Amino acid sequence: MSADIILQARNLKKYYGKGETQVHALDGVDLEIEAGKFVAIIGTSGSGKSTLLNMLGGLDNPTSGTVTIGNTELSGLQEEQLTVFRRRCIGFIFQNYNLIPTLNVWENIVFPIAMDRQKPDQKFIEEVVGLLGLEQKIHSLPNNLSGGQQQRVAIARALASKPHIVLADEPTGNLDSKTSGDVIRLLQMTSRKFHQTIIMITHNPEIAQLTDQTIRIEDGRIVS
Amino acid sequence: MMDIVEIRHLKKYFKDGSQVVKALDGIDLAIEKGRFTVIAGASGSGKTTLLNTIAGLYEPTEGTVIVDGLDLSKMGEEQLTVFRRRKIGFVFQGYNLIPELTVKENIMFPLALDDTRLDGAYFSNLVRMLGLDDYLDARPHMLSGGAQQCTAIARALITKPSIILADEPTGSFDMKTTQNVAGLLKMTAATFHQTLVVITHNLELAQLADRVVRLQDGKIV
Amino acid sequence: MKNMLGVLTRRSFQASRMRNLIAALAIMLTTILFTTVTTIGTGAVESITLTMQMLKGSRSDGDFHNMTAKQYEALADADFIREYGLRMPIGFLTNTVRHNVEFDVMDSVQADLTFCMPIHGSVPKAENEIVTSDAALRELGVEPETGALTTIAFTAHGREYQLDMIVSGWYEATSEQVSMMWAGTAFRDAHPDIFEYTYDRNRDMAGTYYSDFIATSTAGLQENLDHWVRQMGGDPDKSNSDHLSATINTVTNPTLDPTTLLLGAVIIVLFMLCGYLLIYNVFDIAVMQEIRRYGLYRTVGMSKRQVKELINRQALWLSGAGIPLGLLIGYFVGKVTLPYMMSTLSSSYENVVINVNPSPIIFVGAAVLTAFTVFLSTRKPIRAAANIPPIEAFRYVEAAAGRKTMKKSTAGASLFRLAWSNLGRNKRRSAFIVASLSLCVILLNCIGIAADSVDVEKQVSYRIRTDFAVVNALSKNILGGFTRREHGLRQEVINIINAQPGVNGASAIYKNTLDDGNVTYDFPVKFDYTGTDEETGIDYGGTNGGIVFNLGDDGHALCNVYGMEEIALARMDIQEGEADAHSLYEKMVKGEGVLLGVVADMGTSILNPAFDLLDVGDVITVFKNGEPMMELPVLAKAALNGDDMEIGYTTRGPFAVGKDGLYLYLPTSVYTEIYDEPVIYKYSFDVAKEQQDAMDEFLQGYVTNVDSGLGFAAAKEARQDAVTTRTMLQFVGGLIGIIFGAAGILNLVNTIITSILARRHEFAAMQSIGMTEKQLTRMMIWESVYYAIGVCVAGMLLSVILAFTVVKTLTGGIWYFTFRFTLVPAAIVCVLLLLVAAILPVIALKVFNKGSIVEKLRVVE
Repeated sequence: MSADIILQARNLKKYYGKGETQVHALDGVDLEIEAGKFVAIIGTSGSGKSTLLNMLGGLDNPTSGTVTIGNTELSGLQEEQLTVFRRRCIGFIFQNYNLIPTLNVWENIVFPIAMDRQKPDQKFIEEVVGLLGLEQKIHSLPNNLSGGQQQRVAIARALASKPHIVLADEPTGNLDSKTSGDVIRLLQMTSRKFHQTIIMITHNPEIAQLTDQTIRIEDGRIVS
Repeated sequence: MMDIVEIRHLKKYFKDGSQVVKALDGIDLAIEKGRFTVIAGASGSGKTTLLNTIAGLYEPTEGTVIVDGLDLSKMGEEQLTVFRRRKIGFVFQGYNLIPELTVKENIMFPLALDDTRLDGAYFSNLVRMLGLDDYLDARPHMLSGGAQQCTAIARALITKPSIILADEPTGSFDMKTTQNVAGLLKMTAATFHQTLVVITHNLELAQLADRVVRLQDGKIV
Repeated sequence: MKNMLGVLTRRSFQASRMRNLIAALAIMLTTILFTTVTTIGTGAVESITLTMQMLKGSRSDGDFHNMTAKQYEALADADFIREYGLRMPIGFLTNTVRHNVEFDVMDSVQADLTFCMPIHGSVPKAENEIVTSDAALRELGVEPETGALTTIAFTAHGREYQLDMIVSGWYEATSEQVSMMWAGTAFRDAHPDIFEYTYDRNRDMAGTYYSDFIATSTAGLQENLDHWVRQMGGDPDKSNSDHLSATINTVTNPTLDPTTLLLGAVIIVLFMLCGYLLIYNVFDIAVMQEIRRYGLYRTVGMSKRQVKELINRQALWLSGAGIPLGLLIGYFVGKVTLPYMMSTLSSSYENVVINVNPSPIIFVGAAVLTAFTVFLSTRKPIRAAANIPPIEAFRYVEAAAGRKTMKKSTAGASLFRLAWSNLGRNKRRSAFIVASLSLCVILLNCIGIAADSVDVEKQVSYRIRTDFAVVNALSKNILGGFTRREHGLRQEVINIINAQPGVNGASAIYKNTLDDGNVTYDFPVKFDYTGTDEETGIDYGGTNGGIVFNLGDDGHALCNVYGMEEIALARMDIQEGEADAHSLYEKMVKGEGVLLGVVADMGTSILNPAFDLLDVGDVITVFKNGEPMMELPVLAKAALNGDDMEIGYTTRGPFAVGKDGLYLYLPTSVYTEIYDEPVIYKYSFDVAKEQQDAMDEFLQGYVTNVDSGLGFAAAKEARQDAVTTRTMLQFVGGLIGIIFGAAGILNLVNTIITSILARRHEFAAMQSIGMTEKQLTRMMIWESVYYAIGVCVAGMLLSVILAFTVVKTLTGGIWYFTFRFTLVPAAIVCVLLLLVAAILPVIALKVFNKGSIVEKLRVVE
């Protein structure tokens, strides 16, 4: 794999069911993502974008095909190994934030690192926190934060372990237009500053325009 | 023509964490009886909040809401519940049918809550119009999305309410179903002289309306 | 709407089976708790009442004595009497030796009320038919069978009668000493001479009418009886026997004492608490799981009241399922445990009859208590469900944390801190679980302490001072007692015992009887009043302090006087005066004085001041045949136990002879000097350890096969009875503790399962960002174990507190307890609990956290 390519998917297929009613959620997807890029994968509902994200993140197994992140091929990993790999090498940002309600902002951010029994890179995380404007909120609990703030925490969490890639699933889906814009700009900024690869799926073309690269998916296939 | 809904200086603020979100920031609106009004706007512009306030589900932070001559701010919680039951027909994006009840029971639910007898002819008419004749004894999960929404529409209409509110009724449908449901909604409302207020992104549905109200950041533009 | 509610309830039951199962289970457990106790309670009361009735010989509400024929017939008009029997006493059979047989005329009602109905055969019809017990028949030399012929002899109105009778029916005797024999009215009609009424002239019983009756209602029975007696021309206050007398059967209608009521109330409150903690949580969780559904209903127009009605209805149906099943199980559990409970009472009662009928009280009582508990427990959850505004309920995400805004620490993400913070999500729920399980720990520990505190040796040493004691069978009957010379032990019995291997330290114990009225005692205690006992004809004198002495022929006190060997005296508990038993005995042999025994507190052996009437040095004068015979100063005072007075817990003998005192102990030589025809009432002896079982067997055989007029007591028997008390405590307490534990575990299980189900999305999210399954499992184990730790701390702490307050006071109040503290039961339960708490989440996760991460992430909020 060329030094610049951080993620590679080859002939990814995901089929559900059998025979006539078989659903081809992914029908042979090839993908190469360069390190440090902010990429949008855009498609309508049912296009397969969510399925693709699950494959890329190791949350689900393809029917056939491979996904390689860094130098690791995901299909070779067992369940526990996969979880550990995700913990160290993939950051997730969800549409509904999925923060842990009983932990404060700081604890949420370092959660994956703590699960790894590692010591967090204090300086780096403080930098991220500053960048995302969360200094005042470090000790707050999630349900006292606005949606936008929660999403920023989720971003910080995704960045904290300096993963190979960050996968964002409709990160602005629950936010209003203004906050959405803020969040996307933040993602842009962190991608540039930390040379962080971010892959975002969305159905909103306006948002996709703010990224470095847009990949279009339709009926389980890449179309552009 | 009488205004079935009169809204003056309506403000609705929420607390989101430690911030204040101004969902509605000064709305003046009058909706004519019998008309089909669409409320459009970007996500987060306040459309759902407006609809819920008209239905009496939210109490205004400021301003007045008068529906069918009733001043909602003067009504207690139980009164509002009864008001909702009799005067408002609500259609949600997620249908929100009661999974344990059959289609027929779901449609009749508001009547049962009120201990009101069913107008048989009206019911048959409604059912036929929405194409639900064959599904009356089925459970909701056995129906297609479109049929479930039609059930919800029937439920909204069964009490012959003052006004029908629909929040993204076709939001999760493909083009074909959207067209069907949109058409049925408009037709049944018109047939029974209902006022229809619909929130939607869908341009085609908006085109069927008599009037489009645009919201942005809690204000009408 | 009612119809719709019914439909919704039924369908939602089908939709959430497991949740409803747990709720029904919770209600069932609570019902079992209550039913077990109501069954045991009513069963115990029934059994004791029946046993007492059989001992007394009647289960009636009351009886009439000494009526004329007219008075008897007037009973038909008494509206406070529901049914009454006919009894015409004739007299005791004269052709019996050891077993006494009273011969009466009766009707079936009377026979039924006094336990004389024939089990085999039928009631007497012809004039020569009789019904009696198997013991009576054997006494008459006849094998008990229907149709047997027997001859009876008796005296009436001074004439002797001898008649041949046919046994028309018979029953198993309930008493070893006395039985009833009865003939029917045909016999009365055939022998008018026997039943001539001469009572007013010569107090002959034959010819009078007696009757036992069942009242229509026991309320105001005493007034009714007094009124009746007056109407019939008698005086209810005078028990002089010219006229009829009426008495209430106190055994059938015992008064309920306040301590029992208090204990009952405490138990009920405790059980309600246990049920409350469980059912509240179960419903709270169940309702909150459904909150979105209720939000939907409310949005579509269901009013608050209707929502409440809906949930109330569900609670009703669940109770309808859980309560009946609980009643059934609880009843059987109670029925099975009843005998164990009753066996402890054999220390106080011989031959306890165990009986429990499925009376409505048991079931209605338990059902009502459970229903009330369910009602109480569901109020708050229902109100909470109804009051949530519709929109919020609709979007309810239960996993959200509480009202805290800030969390200062930043150490949170280790697994056990994560688990700890999870417990804070719903503090009340967590508290209830901890409380619920702690109840179990505390109860079991308190019961453990109580059981440990049963002081076996104290009980044994009260009842008997030696390994064995042989007495007349009367002494082993609480309603019997040694009172007559004829009941003394024969020398041959003593010889036979001495011939057995291993016997040592033996002493015959002599005692005075009612036949020794010519020997009396005078001492420095003044009688404030005198009188004569109506029934026995014995004179008595009493003090204002409430002490009564039976008087002998010359007006001085009879006292209870004992003669014994030195070895027996040495075993007594001498507290004042000459302490050395040997010196004391030597002095007494020389006639220099007497040992005075004083009734003492059973637990502490402190002399009871009420009975402590003389001091060391006071002189007691012995009178014989009216003349002073010797003077005996009090040389020492001893604290008396059961063995010193009679044997075991029997006191009727001394009470019948000397009444309250004095208790005087003399050497055998002195005793035989004073009394003509001295009789031995007890032979006390020790046996070498290896021979004790053999002696026990020997005595058993002897008493059963050779001489049924004898009885014996053994230390081993006393020890067994005491141990039974302990076992009973452990058994019943353990049973209740287990049910409490089951309730607590159910609470915990329910919480864990619903917590997992509700947080599946959250778990999936955590797993997607890097928490492995192992880590998740460990976190859940920690959550569960924290509950257990909380229980251990709270449970142990409260156990200690309650032990040294409540338990100590309670055991202090009962004489055969000696408070012994232990924390072992609590520790054991806590260890078990920790183990269970660690295992539960592992299983629950395997069962309920199934599915791929993607599936679980997709679960819509």
